[in-house]
Amino acid sequence: MSNQKKRNFQIEAFKHRVVVDPKYADKTWQILERAIHQIYNQDASGLSFEELYRNAYNMVLHKFGEKLYTGFIATMTGHLKEKARLIEAAQGGAFLEELNKKWNEHNKALEMIRDILMYMDRTYIESTKKPHVHPMGLSLWRDNVVHSPRIHTRLLNTLLDLVYKERTGEVIDRGLVRNVTKMFMDLGESVYQDDFEKPFLEASSEFYKVESQEFIESCDCGDYLKKAEKRLTEEIDRVGHYLDAKSEDKITSVVEREMIANHMQRLVHMENSGLVNMLLNDKYEDLGRMYSLFRRVTNGLATVRDVMTSHLREMGKQLVTDPEKSKDPVEFVQRLLDERDKYDKIISTAFGNDKTFQNASNSSFEYFINLNTRSPEFISLFVDDKLRKGLKGIADVDVEVILDKVMMLFRYLQEKDVFEKYYKQHLAKRLLSGKTVSDDAEKSLIVKLKTECGYQFTSKLEGMFTDMKTSEDTMRGFYGSHPELSEGPTLTVQILTTGSWPTQPAVPCNLPAEVSVLCEKFRSYYLGTHTGRRLSWQTNMGTADIKAVFGKGQKHELNVSTFQMCVLMLFNNSDRLSYKEIEQATEIPAPELRRCLQSLACVKGKNVIKKEPMSKDIGEDDLFVVNDKFTSKFYKVKIGTVVAQKETEPEKQETRQRVEEDRKPQIEAAIVRIMKSRKILDHNNIIAEVTKQLQPRFLANPTEIKKRIESLIERDFLERDNTDRKLYRYLA
Amino acid sequence: MGNSKDRIKFNVGGRIFETTSTTLANAGHDSFFGALFDDDWNLSPPKEDLFIDRNPDCFAVLLDLLRTGDLNVPANIPERLLHREASFYGLLHHVRTAKWGPFDGNRLRLSDSVKGIAPGDGTAVRAGPDGGCCVAHGSVVHVFDWMLEEHCPINLDYQRVNDVGWIDSDNIVLSACEKLGRGDGGMGLFSSSTGDLRYKFQVCHENQVKSYTAGALSFNQDYKIFSSCKGRSNEYGVGVWDQITGKQTDFFYESPGWSLGDADKLQWLNGMNCLLVATLFPRKDNCYISLLDFRDKNMVWSWSDIGSPMAIDEKRVRDAIAMEDSNSICVVNEFEDLGFIDLRMYGGSVRWSSRSRLMKSKMPDEPCYPKLALHEGQLFSSMNDSISVFCGPDWVLTSRLRRSYGGSICDFSIGGDRLFALHSEENVFDVWETPPSPII
Repeated sequence: MSNQKKRNFQIEAFKHRVVVDPKYADKTWQILERAIHQIYNQDASGLSFEELYRNAYNMVLHKFGEKLYTGFIATMTGHLKEKARLIEAAQGGAFLEELNKKWNEHNKALEMIRDILMYMDRTYIESTKKPHVHPMGLSLWRDNVVHSPRIHTRLLNTLLDLVYKERTGEVIDRGLVRNVTKMFMDLGESVYQDDFEKPFLEASSEFYKVESQEFIESCDCGDYLKKAEKRLTEEIDRVGHYLDAKSEDKITSVVEREMIANHMQRLVHMENSGLVNMLLNDKYEDLGRMYSLFRRVTNGLATVRDVMTSHLREMGKQLVTDPEKSKDPVEFVQRLLDERDKYDKIISTAFGNDKTFQNASNSSFEYFINLNTRSPEFISLFVDDKLRKGLKGIADVDVEVILDKVMMLFRYLQEKDVFEKYYKQHLAKRLLSGKTVSDDAEKSLIVKLKTECGYQFTSKLEGMFTDMKTSEDTMRGFYGSHPELSEGPTLTVQILTTGSWPTQPAVPCNLPAEVSVLCEKFRSYYLGTHTGRRLSWQTNMGTADIKAVFGKGQKHELNVSTFQMCVLMLFNNSDRLSYKEIEQATEIPAPELRRCLQSLACVKGKNVIKKEPMSKDIGEDDLFVVNDKFTSKFYKVKIGTVVAQKETEPEKQETRQRVEEDRKPQIEAAIVRIMKSRKILDHNNIIAEVTKQLQPRFLANPTEIKKRIESLIERDFLERDNTDRKLYRYLA
Repeated sequence: MGNSKDRIKFNVGGRIFETTSTTLANAGHDSFFGALFDDDWNLSPPKEDLFIDRNPDCFAVLLDLLRTGDLNVPANIPERLLHREASFYGLLHHVRTAKWGPFDGNRLRLSDSVKGIAPGDGTAVRAGPDGGCCVAHGSVVHVFDWMLEEHCPINLDYQRVNDVGWIDSDNIVLSACEKLGRGDGGMGLFSSSTGDLRYKFQVCHENQVKSYTAGALSFNQDYKIFSSCKGRSNEYGVGVWDQITGKQTDFFYESPGWSLGDADKLQWLNGMNCLLVATLFPRKDNCYISLLDFRDKNMVWSWSDIGSPMAIDEKRVRDAIAMEDSNSICVVNEFEDLGFIDLRMYGGSVRWSSRSRLMKSKMPDEPCYPKLALHEGQLFSSMNDSISVFCGPDWVLTSRLRRSYGGSICDFSIGGDRLFALHSEENVFDVWETPPSPII
């Protein structure tokens, strides 16, 4: 452990070298060489591992490591050259098998040689930084066998040929191919890549280039995609069976490039079978295939999406701008809903609910729904229709589904305030005429609107429902305090809060005496219980059930409007009345009266009075008599008023104007809100912020915003900056 | 278990041993036994006992090592013989692992002292990653493996060695003074096992190869070598080389009024991604400590005692070590007082610890300057003939390693779970190890 001992060691080591028998190294090496031969000839059973290991150890110990190392390389090289000759001699199909067999033999021999030479591996090779026995054995195999000129290309061609055969439908020995490719992998990643993978990918690329050309000329888009998909799974399968897992991405990208990316445009636009055709004919399976294949290549999905979007927009544009199709609002909306359902289904079943596709579809719908300015009205009408009658006999769950779908369309609307206007009108009509089918459905829709647009959007709508409820209570109270009224005509009053309901000018008329007495009683009852209120009669919105007896004594109950009731009651006192007389007696405004008379006299099957002369239009000089010959198989006869369900042109203009008028304060409020917090802001930013703030309700027009700003400046809410005219300043 | 087929009988040098293949499997695949049981050698079932022409006493020791994981060498077996036998069986690594335990500064035992034949004072000792070490004496570096067997000494043109360091268990970098006009000296890479010069590092200034004196060394995880350099025409600074290509990749030139090229100590700070460079008294009249960031060639932190009033007790910084965990630099003066400088403040002052001079003893005839080392949260400081161990957030003195032989400790180094202390008077170094873990 000390100085003394260390010096001894050095002398010892020195001694070793001299005592060695000069032929010792050669003798020992001969033993080992013979053993290597025996191992290669598979005749190793008689060998003693301990002896061989000890001999190899002694050679290294006695500084013959170099001799041992070069000797092992030379001997192994000799054997491998011999093996290469045998492999070369193999004919045809036996070639690969022979190669595989020799490779297995070599591996086993190499393992045993490494065992014997382990001490050299650990010490001599370690300190001289030479390749270790095992990697050396692999390199020797690579250089002497795999890279031997008469094996190298033949091996590659054999493998590529087998792959080609398999691609064209023949059955090959996959296990054998796997063993050979495994050999390449064992020899190192670069050997696998250079000697096999690269040429394999090139050959594959060539193969699929030709095949895809062939397919595209002869197949339609759907079939082509089926074939491409099949090829893709085949290649992935192939990798799993006999290639390195790292090759999967490479070979699939070859197939993707050759079969899809290079033909993308042509496939999508293929006549009579391309994407548009698939969309039109709901070919979910083909669409799904296209999606899953195209998503593999760059810009693949973008291409599909673009074509889908432009098709959808074009189709939608036709749908909403075709005057023929917008005749019936209910059908119009139903068509939109159908279209949406269709694309929802396509995206969910074929496009894997891809968000980008959903967005594309949404933006397309938003685009074309707003192309038609009447969309808000139509959607409201659709709801009206459904809530009036359409939902009868439908389960609650389904009602929800329909309403949810309508809400989807509603979301697309830019002018939500217009929708609100119409919805209010339609709801008012439904409520007043008692036509709502389901209170739950009504309320559910309001809740949906509320969650979508906020409290203020629906507060008036909710007010309408409250009014209906209080009216009921008030009526009960009224009849409770007037028990004498249980005989005679019944009056049902609905008290509508001003502001909650769509404003319509109150059209006065002279009510028949029986009714006006009742009205007066109610007025005094109501004002007696609620002080400080004003009550005015909206006779234009009422209805009446009156009983009538006709010529042959047949009795009917007529369901009419208040105006019609006023007219009919006149006939209690006279048989024949002229237009002028009726007008005088009732004081119904001319257009209303005309409509009212028209519906009483000119509608076939409901003409309870006759007109002279008989014509469609009402003239100032016409005469009216009770139609004694009126018959109907029903006891109750409903006489409608002649009103267009859709708005007439002037009405539309009016609504429009009202909407515009309502928007003004909203725009101003938004401007003030923004300026209050920002104090100073330039023109463009105000426009942007106002537009953003109002977006949930409507799309504000920049010119209108500008006008509102001017108006606010006039009223000293804002001022222009003195130096920069584009800047506005908030005046507190 | 209980399977008789598992049993194996050996005849080693005439003595019969019986064991199981399970025990032998502990030797691992890359061993004599691993190869022996390779399926290709048709051993099973062994008809008779297997003969091995080796020493039976050593085999007994090694068999017990495989059985228990403990190494117990009877006094009558020379270590070298045991190592020789272990090497035959491919069990050297097992012996090394069993010989000493994981490093703990508070449980160290002196395991050996190695005396050399080199004349003159030692310059440096450096622990290797697997338990070996190298010792620089004048112009020669002696290399020892973990068995403390000396390998070929290394030298760079027999120029005076300034520093030496292990890149890995097989590669040592040596920095030396240049020799006027001959291009000798500089920095070289050597094989630790054979002592061969593998590579000589060059320095270029303005695309011209220049001779240089290489000083302190440091390495980092990105395979970079740092060395303080002095060139002939005032090309002072810190050079950077790539360990793999051997090419110079960078050079941080010293700015006027500062010192980099003369540095006593370089330390790579992994967390901060910069290099600590310390030039200390008495190499220079003043101390300069700086942190260099090579990415943007920026001196990100610096400290110097220039201009600070010289106290009577002369608290001069003699060694410095950065402690990244506590964001500070620990320094030591010639009285072994520890001081701390905050790394988060630019140009802060030294906060000397009050622990000072508790054990003021008589100074030896030939005092050695204190040295510092940090290892897994333990701080080591050498002073005269002993090494103190400090632990905890307040660096409490917990142990002292002393051996009153060989004079003052001029350098020490921790690595491969061992501590090597080089003495200045006699050419001798001590090896301190942590004993293997207790049985229970």
